[in-house]
Amino acid sequence: MPIAVNKAIGGKEYPPFPVTVERGRIKDFARAVGDLNPFYMDDAVGAASPWGDVIAPPTFGISFRDEAADSSALLRDLGVDISRLLHGEQEFEIHRQLVPGETYLCRTRVVDVYEKTGRSGPMAFVVRETAVTDRAGEIVVSMRQVTVVRL
Amino acid sequence: MEYGRVYFEDVQVGDALPPLTKGPLQQIQLTRYAGASLDFNPIHQDEEFARAAGMGGVFAHGMLSMGWVGQALTDWAGAGSVRKLGVRFAALVRLKDTVTCTGRVISKSEKDDVRLVDVEVWAENQKGDKVVTGKATLVLPSRA
Repeated sequence: MPIAVNKAIGGKEYPPFPVTVERGRIKDFARAVGDLNPFYMDDAVGAASPWGDVIAPPTFGISFRDEAADSSALLRDLGVDISRLLHGEQEFEIHRQLVPGETYLCRTRVVDVYEKTGRSGPMAFVVRETAVTDRAGEIVVSMRQVTVVRL
Repeated sequence: MEYGRVYFEDVQVGDALPPLTKGPLQQIQLTRYAGASLDFNPIHQDEEFARAAGMGGVFAHGMLSMGWVGQALTDWAGAGSVRKLGVRFAALVRLKDTVTCTGRVISKSEKDDVRLVDVEVWAENQKGDKVVTGKATLVLPSRA
């Protein structure tokens, strides 16, 4: 008997949260990927670059979390256990590079929740979009994430 | 290791990206990626948990493979060149897997002095199964 997800969270907006990008976190992320590009890793190379500092790798925004919030808020809202989740799709649109020392504001919204039966059985798809803006309110990075729930 | 920088004029539709190979994947890399990405889902760390979840054992964060795809793009075109990257996670990456990321230029365009190149990207495991498929848009400099 498949479980059900709470489809009522479609359209839900989570409270905006700030993230200050730390130099060391960019480097830890690059090391974890195994991407030792000097534009991420070397402060002198960054200082001489068009950005005036090191920049973050293209997928770094995935690490942006609301530190003040319960990390399982989405699971609770959906009414499912973490063991049922898979990452289905991910998209980044990078309007400007993320750089250390900047504080950004992240706004996440559930844009769609739908169900579909695939080869491996019934699944729900939860589509979330996050807008990352700077202090002036200008968009820096947009992220779109599709989470698959095995029902 | 060279960190590439290609010019818009030198890129042709159909050009292949130099492949980037990662692995064999070790558990420590997933632990490290969890710490760096703040994704602590035990399904990527705990063999018993992953088996009990019906996944047949630990598998990699999709985002780690996407990070490798991003690296294949920036090793070729330079850091900061990725304007857009969108992927679908087509199959799981397991411990000991070797993953090769590559791509192909599908179109070029120029608008308001910004030169864009669209690239089809993918990653496959040692058996040739696609684990990631997607598309990227890169901003390239001009020789002019």
